[in-house]
Amino acid sequence: MTTILPGYVLLILKVLFLVGQLIYGVFAGVLVRQEQLMADVLEETFQPIIRLLVIGHLLAVIAVCILSIIIL
Amino acid sequence: MPTIFVSPTPTPLKSKGKKLSHLQFVPSAQPPTHMGPLTAFAVNPTNLRFETQEEKESVILFLRQHFIVNVPWIVITILLLLAPSFIFSKLFGVILSNFSLPPSYLLVGTIFWYVATFGFALASFIGWFFNIYIVTNERIVDIDFYYLLYKKFSEAELTKIQDISYTSGGILAAVFNFGNVTVETAGEAPNLVFESIPFPEKVVETIRSLTEQTEEGAV
Repeated sequence: MTTILPGYVLLILKVLFLVGQLIYGVFAGVLVRQEQLMADVLEETFQPIIRLLVIGHLLAVIAVCILSIIIL
Repeated sequence: MPTIFVSPTPTPLKSKGKKLSHLQFVPSAQPPTHMGPLTAFAVNPTNLRFETQEEKESVILFLRQHFIVNVPWIVITILLLLAPSFIFSKLFGVILSNFSLPPSYLLVGTIFWYVATFGFALASFIGWFFNIYIVTNERIVDIDFYYLLYKKFSEAELTKIQDISYTSGGILAAVFNFGNVTVETAGEAPNLVFESIPFPEKVVETIRSLTEQTEEGAV
């Protein structure tokens, strides 16, 4: 029979989740900035799609962070 | 007066030229390549501009590493996508045999895993996409980005090129025809290396002919 993990373990897990997501959020922000710098170097037709993907990725990370704060 | 000598008709030169045209790669004779997201070798590309490009300067060759160099990160991405279904259930089954995680943790963990996998693939693709090599009618340019945070912009004018060579080794390079082109420049300027580019022989030929044209123009 399995039991739910104790409260303090869940609290540690929650903190780890949030810290991990925060660090990953910084990486996603760097990715957006770096894409902008790279786009200045090379102007190409496919570039707006990459920008869309990079910004979408950042928004997804922010959404997961908010979801974590709400439901964990 | 009788004819002593009749010179042969000068037709062989024409046929020689025709034969050579099959062997030689002449960029100016090629139609402009339409740039796609996975283009790694483009001749006279349209809709393309790069940093520091001058108005009169035209791009003759646009190069990226051969797409095959992306295979390792694509394989890793596929494994990461499959991991939650196949690996995690067994791994957590062993570790948490007596305990179970609340569903909310599993949900957030799984979503975050897929977002991070997407981020990994995106960063890898961007790294390949923006690592470019350009040959113009005035110079050659090498733009490298390392680990998203370090940028290296190298260029060499055609008049300063001393020697150019290429190496192609290994099974993959032989099958997919890619290799490294090394451009040695005069003076203290560092040599440029175009890594894992498709059709290295065509690139060498193009740069060599452009260098010769530039030298002839200078003389």
